[in-house]
Parts: sequence; structure tokens; C-alpha cells
Amino acid sequence: MSYYFVIISPTDSPLFEHTFGTSKAGGDGVARFRNGETSRYMNQFIVHASLDVVEEVQWLNNNMYLKHIDTYPPTNSHISCFLAGTNVRFLLLHQPSTAPTTSSSNRSSTISSTSVPHNPTSPQTEEAIKQFMNEVFEIWVKTLMSPFYRIGMHIKSPIFRQRVSAAGRKWL
Amino acid sequence: MSFDAPLPPYTASDSHATFLNVSCLDLLLIEMVPLAERMARRAERIERGEEPREEDDGDCGVGGTKKGDGKKGRMQARRDEVDGGAAVLDEEVYRDAIFIRLDALGYRVGQGLSERFSRDRPRFLDNLDVIKFLCKDLWTILFKKQIDNLKTNHRGVYVLTDNTFRPFLRMSMSNSNEAVAKAQPHLFFPCGIIRGALSSLGINATVQAESTDLPMAVFQIKTLATAAAKP
Repeated sequence: MSYYFVIISPTDSPLFEHTFGTSKAGGDGVARFRNGETSRYMNQFIVHASLDVVEEVQWLNNNMYLKHIDTYPPTNSHISCFLAGTNVRFLLLHQPSTAPTTSSSNRSSTISSTSVPHNPTSPQTEEAIKQFMNEVFEIWVKTLMSPFYRIGMHIKSPIFRQRVSAAGRKWL
Repeated sequence: MSFDAPLPPYTASDSHATFLNVSCLDLLLIEMVPLAERMARRAERIERGEEPREEDDGDCGVGGTKKGDGKKGRMQARRDEVDGGAAVLDEEVYRDAIFIRLDALGYRVGQGLSERFSRDRPRFLDNLDVIKFLCKDLWTILFKKQIDNLKTNHRGVYVLTDNTFRPFLRMSMSNSNEAVAKAQPHLFFPCGIIRGALSSLGINATVQAESTDLPMAVFQIKTLATAAAKP
């Protein structure tokens, strides 16, 4: 499963984006999106289109983690959202991989229905994404506390990127 | 870093936890005002040419000091002419400079605080919710007590009254009017914190503070949307 994670400010400008693939169930952590070359633009487009849905759903739900809010059927992408207090949004686009593993198709039928990398809407996935979001939120608050980070700036720190990818490897 | 308050024994959950003495914040708040005053005075002197800028010392050498002297002479002459009126203007400019410095510092602190402590809170439904969060949660975190009185005219103006404002508790002078005047700059930083917290939670506002009698402090918040709505 491939993931595209983006942090969007209250004024709808992206502050940080990160693409990665699943490290669970034998994945190698490399993202493989369906659109291939145009996936960079398509991911941004899909995620920004789902901001409208975020704005609708945020008033119905009092939690920080809004779970799965939107899908994009042509590429089977699903979008989950986590809302921080100051209306900063963490959006994760997850796309299960297309080609089923033919070599292990015999035994993978039971595994793939519930495992995180293959099923984007199962409760386990939602739980895993929630843990991931919580961890990124802690890292984000630490970044915010630094006086050298101006609110609304792009996050350029390599340490931040490292920590987010570590969280991604751990939970997703 | 943990968001939960640790219970004694304090190192039970995390033996590498480091702790910070709470009086550090009090001491910092006390020292910030003289610092801002010193910086404002120094900036003023650099403007007037009485003091060379730091970079001039290094590279210009003799040429720099000559230039500095000439400029100082001209400015001195001009200043002497308009000294009477300028003295009042200088005081205002000086006061504004202190306010801007302390307010800007408080603004950044307020933004960070509101993000950190609005965690897991139900969504803020309207401005009054945000102000209540400020009065209860943020004030407790900063000053270990809540705001004593909140008044609003329901048209965007909120008045917060703190009857025993923590930084003022240990301040006193023989003449109470003088004490109030001297304590005024100490309100600028909390004003900035309020403004920063509100702006990061979506409310643009101006904040003014005054104190009629130590240790009481009154903060007046005017949300800007209401002001802009009037033609």
C-alpha cells in the first residue's frame, strides 16, 4: 500500500508532504502509485479536493481523528484526516497496491482481507492510522514549540522527515 | 515530553524526565520588561547616532567614527531645536517600542501554547468557546488560576478581569499610582499571549490591558471582524 501524507495549514497551503510505502507484510517501504509518473500531481489534487469534505465533517465530529472521510474511486484511494486544535490538517492518502501477489495467492486470501497493507477501510487500518497520526502530532507540537519555526512556514527540517518516516515504518 | 501531569514519585514513568522549576516563568516575566526597555533605549540611541551600530565598529574603522561624529553633530543640533515637543514624542515612541517587542514575543508563545493545550478538546463552536478556553485552561496553565470575571457585550468585545494577577502579587510601592504606572509594561507580554492564542484558534483581535489597582488586571479583547463590519 502506498501512502501520501501531507500537513495543510489553516489557510490551505501545504506545509509538509511525504510519500512512502508500507513496511508491513513484506513491503519494502517504497511507494508505488497507480498513476505512476503523474502520481505526484494526482495525489496533491485528490487530497486538496477532499478538503471540502474535511470542512463539512469537522463540525459533526468532536474528535481530533476524523478517520476515513473520502475516496477517489478511479485509483481506489482513500483519505483519512486528523485535525489539530488550530485547524491544521494532517491528511493521509492511502492506496492499496494493484497487483495481488500471485505466488502466495493461496494463503494470502485470508490475510489480505484484514491486514493493514491490503484493506484500507478495516478497523485495524483505522487504528494503525490513528496511532500514526498521534505520533506525528507529537512531533508536530515539538516543532511548533521551537522559536525558530515560524507558524505557516514549510517544514524543512530533515529530522522531522526522519521522524515521520520512522513513525510510518512503525505503524503503517 | 508528556502532556500529562506527573504524579510523585516523579520519575516513575520516565526515569529520564527532566523537570523545570515553575518559578523560572515568574523570573523570566520579571526580567523581560527591563530587557525590552534596555533594547528600546539602545535602538533609540542608535537611531539618533549617539551610539555606533555594531557592524560599523568592525569594518569602517577611522572612517566610520568620523562619519558617526558628523551625523551625531547634525542630529544633536536638530534635536536641540525641537527638544520640548520631541521629548513627549520620544516617550510615546519608546513605550510603543517596548509594547511591540513584548507583544510580538507573547504572540509567538500564545500560538504555540494554544496548539499544544487544545489537544483532545471538543471542537470550538464559536468565539465564546475560544474565550472560555483561554480563561480557564490557558490561564490555569500560565498563572495557576482562572480568570475571575468575564464580561461581553455579545458584539465582539470581551473584558477579562483577574483580581489577583500573579505577576502583580509581589509588586508594591509606597505610592500606589506610581506602582500602577510602573507595572503597566508587565501587562504587555500577557496581552501578546492572549492575542497569539486567539489568532491561532481563528479569532483576529486586539488586546489591551490596564490595571487600576495592583494586583488587579483587566484585559479588553476586541475582535476585529466586528470592527471591519461597520462601514
